[in-house]
Amino acid sequence: MATQRKGGTLDKNNKYDRQLRLWGDHGQSSLETARVCLINASATGTEILKNLILPGIGSFTILDGNKVQGEDVGNNFFLMADSIGKSRAQVTTELLSELNEDVSGDFLEENVDDLLQKNPAFFTSFTTVIATQLPERTLLNLGKVLWSVNIPLLVCRCYGFIGYLRVVIKEHTIIESHPDNFHEDLRLDYPFKGLKDFCDSLNLEAMDKKDHSHTPWLVLLYKYLQVWEEQHGGKMPKNFKEKNAFKELIRQGVRKNEHGVPEDEENFDEAIKSVNSSLHSTAIPSEIKSLFEDPACLKLNSESKNFWIMVRALKEFTETDGNGFLPLRGSIPDMTADSERYIQLQTVYREQAELDSVAVAGHVHALLHNIGRDEPLNPHTVRDSQEGSISDSEIKTFCRNSAFLTVLRTRSLEEEYSAETANTEELGRHVMMEEEEDASDEGDDTVLYILLRAVDRFFTEYTRYPGYFNNTVEADIPKLKACLTKLIHDWGLTAGIKDDYIQEMCRYGASELHTVSAFMGGVAAQEVIKLVTGQFVPINNTFIYNGQRQTSTTIKL
Amino acid sequence: MALNGALGKQNVNTLNKCKILMVGAGGIGCELLKNLVLTGFTDIQLIDLDTIDVSNLNRQFLFRKEHVGKSKAQVAKESALKFNPNASIVAHHDSIFNSEFGVDFFKSFTVVLNALDNRAARNHVNRMCLAADIPLVESGTAGYLGQVNPIKKGLTECYECQPKPSAQKSFPGCTIRNTPSEPIHCVVWAKHLFNQLFGEEDPDEDVSPDTEDPELTADAGKSALDSEAKKDAIGGIERKSTRAWAVETGYNAEKLFNKLFRDDIKYLLSMETLWKERRPPQALDFHDLPGKDLQSASTRSTDVWTVQECGDHFTRCLTALKEDLAKRGEDGMLVWDKDDHHAMDFVTSVANIRAHIFGIPLKSGFEIKSMAGNIIPAIATTNAIIAGAIVLETLKILFGKIDKCKQVYLNRVPNDRKRLLVPCALDPPNPKCYVCSSKPECVARFNTSKITVKTLQDKILKGHLNMIAPDVEIDDGKGTILISSEEGETEDNEDKYLSDFGVVNNTRLKCDDFLQNYSLVVTVAHVEKLDGELEFEIVGDLSQCHPEEDGDSSAASGAPAAGKAADDEDDLIVMEDLELEDKEMEQSQGESVESRKRPAEDVESPAKSKRKAVAAAGDSEDLIEIS
Repeated sequence: MATQRKGGTLDKNNKYDRQLRLWGDHGQSSLETARVCLINASATGTEILKNLILPGIGSFTILDGNKVQGEDVGNNFFLMADSIGKSRAQVTTELLSELNEDVSGDFLEENVDDLLQKNPAFFTSFTTVIATQLPERTLLNLGKVLWSVNIPLLVCRCYGFIGYLRVVIKEHTIIESHPDNFHEDLRLDYPFKGLKDFCDSLNLEAMDKKDHSHTPWLVLLYKYLQVWEEQHGGKMPKNFKEKNAFKELIRQGVRKNEHGVPEDEENFDEAIKSVNSSLHSTAIPSEIKSLFEDPACLKLNSESKNFWIMVRALKEFTETDGNGFLPLRGSIPDMTADSERYIQLQTVYREQAELDSVAVAGHVHALLHNIGRDEPLNPHTVRDSQEGSISDSEIKTFCRNSAFLTVLRTRSLEEEYSAETANTEELGRHVMMEEEEDASDEGDDTVLYILLRAVDRFFTEYTRYPGYFNNTVEADIPKLKACLTKLIHDWGLTAGIKDDYIQEMCRYGASELHTVSAFMGGVAAQEVIKLVTGQFVPINNTFIYNGQRQTSTTIKL
Repeated sequence: MALNGALGKQNVNTLNKCKILMVGAGGIGCELLKNLVLTGFTDIQLIDLDTIDVSNLNRQFLFRKEHVGKSKAQVAKESALKFNPNASIVAHHDSIFNSEFGVDFFKSFTVVLNALDNRAARNHVNRMCLAADIPLVESGTAGYLGQVNPIKKGLTECYECQPKPSAQKSFPGCTIRNTPSEPIHCVVWAKHLFNQLFGEEDPDEDVSPDTEDPELTADAGKSALDSEAKKDAIGGIERKSTRAWAVETGYNAEKLFNKLFRDDIKYLLSMETLWKERRPPQALDFHDLPGKDLQSASTRSTDVWTVQECGDHFTRCLTALKEDLAKRGEDGMLVWDKDDHHAMDFVTSVANIRAHIFGIPLKSGFEIKSMAGNIIPAIATTNAIIAGAIVLETLKILFGKIDKCKQVYLNRVPNDRKRLLVPCALDPPNPKCYVCSSKPECVARFNTSKITVKTLQDKILKGHLNMIAPDVEIDDGKGTILISSEEGETEDNEDKYLSDFGVVNNTRLKCDDFLQNYSLVVTVAHVEKLDGELEFEIVGDLSQCHPEEDGDSSAASGAPAAGKAADDEDDLIVMEDLELEDKEMEQSQGESVESRKRPAEDVESPAKSKRKAVAAAGDSEDLIEIS
């Protein structure tokens, strides 16, 4: 917003203002370097891409060997009647490119199977690949290519009122997972020196009325914890009963006026309310401990990802300087307080967090040296991540989020599709449920996945989708049912699925309803943004949407 | 065709006959229009008062750079027709509050779809649809969250059946003028200053020290009087409006600065009672600002300016805004706009200078924009999802399956039951709703000898109860007319107090809005004084009201629609807290998380409970403004 900024940059800041507030400048830069490949410019594929071009991905490439047909014009906003017969890849690329001049678009009019055979390396030049409308075999081939080079694949599909999304990624590491609920990192149970010094320098009894009622609740908790621990052998209040007693102890501390009536001290109210959420014991979360034991952390080499080098440094920190704790997060919640002491308290936490982060950086640099990836001469001149080195700002962000680090490893498509490794336990549960329940509102959408798989099997067998031609709808019902039975049998399961569902699948005739495509276009693009920015945790690994009931579910398949 | 297969041929024919009204052509609106056209709707009218802004382009895909400044409704129509020339689309670049869009207009549609971003317009459309008995699909998004609510008179809750948390947080005048303690207080003050200097002057937005601060009681009276004299001595401008004085000085940066940030602060310091329990402010001099010697050039919007930089920006913006103002002619005025660089930088610099004076942390331009502009993050993906869901709910209504409709809530991440999308059964109407029940009633608590007829009209009936042009009659057997919507008829009443008309505790006021076809009986509950400087309080349900009780905090917090409605512009702050009720979700486990003392700048703030909701918020885009 500063007026010194010129031309394009200023424009971009304004254009992207509303989203920068969700993923920040660094999220936006990641987005702007992303190279996304869309296979098949179907209605769904085009909607996904539209939702990525608007927020400003770096570039996109559409791979599509098809010509535009009448049906495309009916459900794809970006195609017009006069597009019929033209290359679908070309027309959609041209029209989508108009959406954002900062995004460069490209296309390749070629058959996916041919390209997979001739030049599989084509696919490995992208940050993310999105596939729509692919037959099972092609999909599995593509999945294999991308899996081997750890490039995320998103499979998205709309079939009548059903939406399906699968995220396939061998390993995706997330520093900023933005958890919904978390405890503040206050260390009241193990106060660090700065906090002790600050709190000990304050004397509640000696304060005048103003200072007393404006002492941050964090300090109050610290003070009354000392009193409590003295009375209870150095132990914090643990259970419900003890915490209530502790709250009462704080309540006793509220100043009383000359008539013995307690004064209105908001900070004490806040302290009492914070007892439950703030008196948890500081510990390394089990998820983080398991990262410490991950082979990727234990066996670093010159090829290791920055993430794992930092995890290793974190592990070493907790074993040495950190005394068994993660680096301090360094932020405190808002509270009633005079600005001065609030800022002092903030500073106390921030400074300790700085110290911790510097210590972690020390481990990082040593590790880089050990694996032969020495940092540049002056690390301070390097602001952002560079090949080989790890910047201080990166380490700071990492430390601040060290309790929330997340590694996502989905199953491969191969595992999902092979009868031996399919998640039959999960599938079986849902098949059983369908049998027991009538198709009530609380039915389970996993059955829709099974139906989609049956439809694919039908396609493999008849090279068309059931009900695709109006005059075959009735005749296709028993055929689809047979496919379904075989599929379930292959999984070693026995239960059946209601005929209603089968009829409905045949009625859909593989149609893509625009509004379902629009919905899934939003969901899928959101997952791509998560993958590309490395922020927020993507779905693991399948999302199913039922457009008729407005229900959805996520399952690991 | 495939559509026939999935929807059924008969149903597809139904679509062709439907007339759709879309209110709003912004984030949700663009997506919705596309979906409607491609679902087979052919008769669509859309209405939006707004014009296209650069910050719309990250999601409102029917608009391009070259459209900035043009009518959203018009461009949306043209863009959609370019791709689908067969549809019949009528675009109104107009306000939905306009009387030409009366009940008959609404009655001419099969269904109304809201794609709005502010509560006032949502309330209004809700009432129009109730009056016309036309189904309404209501929707909203905020960041990653979204919701869709089908509404049908008599069958479901209406938009106003459940009290919404107060739309905007407001602050006591004396906090803003005398004793700010949080950045937001300085931001509010800075926006008031903008209006005082360049915009519409509003006595409620005074920026000078407030000598009527309730803290300055009894013994402080004398010193206040003393100070009054002192003030005249210091400023010598007491009897002049800030605007008149500024004009006289030619908007001289040094003079303005030293008055606002030196002399007024010194005057505040003279009100000693205020600083007994607070850190006193420190006056600044224009020529001696902290950070003067620092060679800093903050260029990123996320950088925090030094005080010296703030001073420089203050000077620069003052000059620029003065020129902008001059271009508007004799009686021209500027309207504060977060997307106007000078207006925004002015508020950033002023807020930060004031923050420095009061020992409050300084904020970056990026953050201040969020606070001052009441910005709700908005992205293409959420809008796409919600617009898809709107059409699917609309189809159920049109195919006669309204019983199958759901309220749909979009979570940020799948919930504990693995659901990203949570459908909830529709709730029946609230029999005590003051909008959709058969005899709408509510209670207004205030001091009858302190509320003027004008306040009743502007702040209570229009501002809080969302009427457009109310008529008010006292139910005293005589039919005394307090307010008439006919111009000029009751102007003489405006400055009189309600008590002057014999309004006492339990007096019933019959309030009518002709446009909305809405009648409401407001029962007055006289109270001497309300908590927290509230001017009045509206209670939806008579049983919740204890008229004689002297407002104690428990009673006040129990009131569902409490709130000082004085500040109803889209400025004051805060994310509306969205009332996304995840009814399927189990009570959130563990502790309930308290709302923060300091304003949450981020709607995603994890401190909020799981029960969030999307609602209006005053982000000026996508919005139908009250004109």
